[in-house]
Amino acid sequence: MKFTIHRDQFVQSVQHVSKAISSRTTIPVLTGIKLVANEYGVTLTGSDSDISIESFIPKEDGDLQLVEVEDKGSIVLQARFFSEIVKKLPEDTIDIHVTDQLVTTIKSGSSVFNLNGLDPEEYPRLPEIEEENVFKLRTDLLKNIIRQTVFAVSTIETRPILTGVNWTIEDGLLTCTATDSHRLAMRKAKVDTTNELSFTNVVIPGKSLNELSKILDENEEWVDIIVTDNQILFKGKNLLFFSRLLDGNYPATKNMIPTQSKTGVTLTTKLFMQAIERALLLSRDGKNNVVNLKTLGNGNIEITSVTPEVGKVTEDITTNSFNGEELRISFNGKNIIDALKVIESTEIMIDFTGAMSPFVIKPIENDNMLHLFSPVRTY
Amino acid sequence: MGKIYQLDDQLSNKIAAGEVVERPASVIKELIENSLDANSKHIRIDVEEGGLSLIRILDNGDGIEEEDVETAFFRHATSKIRNDQDLFRIATLGFRGEALPSIASVSKLILKTSDGTNKGTEIRLEGGRVTYRGSTSPRKGTEITVTDLFYNTPARLKYLRTIHTELGHISDVVNRMALAHPDVSFHLTHNNKTLLKTVGNGDLLRVITSIYGSAIGKKMVRIEGQSLDFTINGYIALPEVYRSNRSYMSTIINGRFVKNYPLTKGIQEGYHTLLPIGKFPVAVLHIKMDPILVDVNVHPAKLEVRISKEQALQDLVTKSIKEVFQKTRLIPEVSNEKKQSKARSEQLSFSIQHDLKDNHLFNEQGSSMKNHTSSFNEDEVDDIPTRTNLLDKSIETKLENTNIPNPDSQQPITVCEGKEQQEGEQSAQSVPNTSNEEGNEYAVPTLYPIGQLHGTYILAQNDQGLFIIDQHAAQERIKYEYFREKIVEVDPTLQDLLIPITFEFTQEEEERIKERGNLLETVGIKLENFGTRTYLVRAHPTWFPKGQEKEIIEAMLEQLKEEASIDLKKLREETAILMSCKASIKANHYLTKDNMFRLLETLRTCDDPYTCPHGRPVIVHYSTYEMEKMFKRIM
Repeated sequence: MKFTIHRDQFVQSVQHVSKAISSRTTIPVLTGIKLVANEYGVTLTGSDSDISIESFIPKEDGDLQLVEVEDKGSIVLQARFFSEIVKKLPEDTIDIHVTDQLVTTIKSGSSVFNLNGLDPEEYPRLPEIEEENVFKLRTDLLKNIIRQTVFAVSTIETRPILTGVNWTIEDGLLTCTATDSHRLAMRKAKVDTTNELSFTNVVIPGKSLNELSKILDENEEWVDIIVTDNQILFKGKNLLFFSRLLDGNYPATKNMIPTQSKTGVTLTTKLFMQAIERALLLSRDGKNNVVNLKTLGNGNIEITSVTPEVGKVTEDITTNSFNGEELRISFNGKNIIDALKVIESTEIMIDFTGAMSPFVIKPIENDNMLHLFSPVRTY
Repeated sequence: MGKIYQLDDQLSNKIAAGEVVERPASVIKELIENSLDANSKHIRIDVEEGGLSLIRILDNGDGIEEEDVETAFFRHATSKIRNDQDLFRIATLGFRGEALPSIASVSKLILKTSDGTNKGTEIRLEGGRVTYRGSTSPRKGTEITVTDLFYNTPARLKYLRTIHTELGHISDVVNRMALAHPDVSFHLTHNNKTLLKTVGNGDLLRVITSIYGSAIGKKMVRIEGQSLDFTINGYIALPEVYRSNRSYMSTIINGRFVKNYPLTKGIQEGYHTLLPIGKFPVAVLHIKMDPILVDVNVHPAKLEVRISKEQALQDLVTKSIKEVFQKTRLIPEVSNEKKQSKARSEQLSFSIQHDLKDNHLFNEQGSSMKNHTSSFNEDEVDDIPTRTNLLDKSIETKLENTNIPNPDSQQPITVCEGKEQQEGEQSAQSVPNTSNEEGNEYAVPTLYPIGQLHGTYILAQNDQGLFIIDQHAAQERIKYEYFREKIVEVDPTLQDLLIPITFEFTQEEEERIKERGNLLETVGIKLENFGTRTYLVRAHPTWFPKGQEKEIIEAMLEQLKEEASIDLKKLREETAILMSCKASIKANHYLTKDNMFRLLETLRTCDDPYTCPHGRPVIVHYSTYEMEKMFKRIM
């Protein structure tokens, strides 16, 4: 294999596929990046058998010649070293040349590296995916959806299914739900589907979505999303992102969301968030992050937090509107902050259904997002 | 007039008693040793009040002839050695001729003895003075009754502990004797209550079982080892059984229970990385060697000995233990009831080996079942190539094997010891033989992953039941074995020091450095003499961990003290453990089936796949039988 490649493009691709590579794996060849050169360009692959990323660099992009392939072939190179090397190479172009014994020469300007490669035959094949269930999302929307849900997934493997985000499509409406059983984030979006596509039990690992979000650029290009029984494929421009889907049935979340409310409050997002952040200053040590909320009868609410060894904080917040019963409730303030951070609306609406029941926070401007929290019982 | 007198016998015996007869237990030790030296096969020890009011030892040994009876109570009177040469070839337990007179001088003692030919002799002593001579029945053997021990040495009496403590020491002594002499029947009673009774049929495992209980007895495996000078045999416990102190390691040299630091160290080394930190194994080792190689004349109690070629013996012990564990499956069983599964387990143990054959092919070619049958067809030219046929054959082999050591001794999970296995195998044709030898390459059977529990444990199955594997511990073990070898290949480049490290040595250390200092140079350390016993190191290899340069060099010198080489593996072990821990997948980490399978397969190729380098277990096994018990499918 022998080719010359544009450095900036190559570095970016290497960084993208590196996202899938884990330094700790039980399959040694997966610590490497697979490079394949053919008449169309160069393909890079990284995988931890959970996520696989393939990045393609075409021969030319518009007028710009990106790759010049002299000999076709493939090689697997240790990602740990290779990605650092290409990042630091001095010139704009890089020559990569593989000799018979898998030894790879990387040349740029006067700098020459010789790396011992791994056998590309040992590299596992990427899953083959039949393009039946396909829909499209714009990159910026996809990134938003991910950002607004994935923070709520569970990070503990005791209930593996909760470590993922549940995606469902019904009547052209995509609903993404994530929960760690203390809080739940839900995001809805209209999607373009080619046919009458509908599915319910697609659960994408939160880790995969995080990585995907990192390598997607903020732009308006379309991403094709293909769903199979156990894999999902995100297909962008010159980029393939495979992730496994989680096994098992995602719990039914629809009926967890209360439909009526006993106490309804609207608040300015920023004020509320800052008040809770201040309240958390004291409870952070106790690690329980408990914040208490109390209605004051005059339409205002009071936020308090007490950590017996440290002290107490109290703050009154003026509400923009208030209706319903008076209420006293405690909750995990950290979870609220997480949610408020991804709500872009300047004003939010909170619907309480009692001190011991879950409550909902929604942006006031639109109905495409919802956050549900279960309260903390205090005695 | 001179001030220096020759002390009379009474007094000098009392002084000697101070060393030999420290407490009731030492009386018993000396008397049992006498019984054993007199070729007794049954020894009965009766004790009352922790030995203070009565100790009676009854044996069926050679007895003492009438004319010798009184001589036996003279100081340094013995039948066991005669001249200088004998002293260096001591095959008996006693030889100093001090015990009887010492005991007699601090107690009231009655001795009845007969060599079985004609009438017996009885003699009574008080404080070492003969008070009665007479004759008694001609029962072959000797009976010694010691009453009122220390009645004339109030100081010693004062320092004795409670009856309970003394009794503890006594049963310790008898236990040791019983372990050292499985061919002699011991019966120990205290206030007419039996504390220990051994059969005396030469079966060490039965003795171990009667002393430590059947739970430990079942977890003991046979060990054997041989070199030009030494022969070792005995039993060691599987690493899943351990104790918090060293007293469960019994070493017996030529029938004498001894405490010897290098030996215990050798045992612990054999268990290296198999036991959690601060835990010690249970082991009983009989070591036979030419008496000329061991000097027991170190202390009157003869508990400590000096061994020539100590290092060779230590290495042999370590090697023998390691060998046993490499051939034994050390997967702890989860079980409450073990007894009934015995018959089943014989069968199960075969399927292990059977499976391994399967897997071997699986590794190479990927599709297991098909290849499996075809390969057996090739091997077994004339035999009908059925699984059952093979199975039967091997059960026979297996049973044969187990008969050699002891039918009771085999654990459900041990794949019996290699040496015997091969012996047995030879009689059972070559077909199962080859398959078994291949099987022995890997001690862990093929496991098929079912799934993952809490992102931390791999659940896997095969026909023997359920296996739970700690994924972190498993990979840690794999990486550790890799790094352990790798870490020795150190970079020979040296880092010069601006300010040299100074070492000050003692005279002894300096001698050692002069003698073996060149070994240090092979690892890149040059000690430069700088005045009296002061040395400078001006450069050290670059691989030395920062800030620990001095400690490492000191550790190397320490190694030189014990052996004539520097073992980097040992020195860098901690680093290897740390590296393996860091490089391993953690808990709470999802694994795909492929990943799990690869992990389990790699684990099987490890030398010691059962524990992580910190000694925690890697695999736990629930046998099918246990599962069925648990769900009351069988009652």
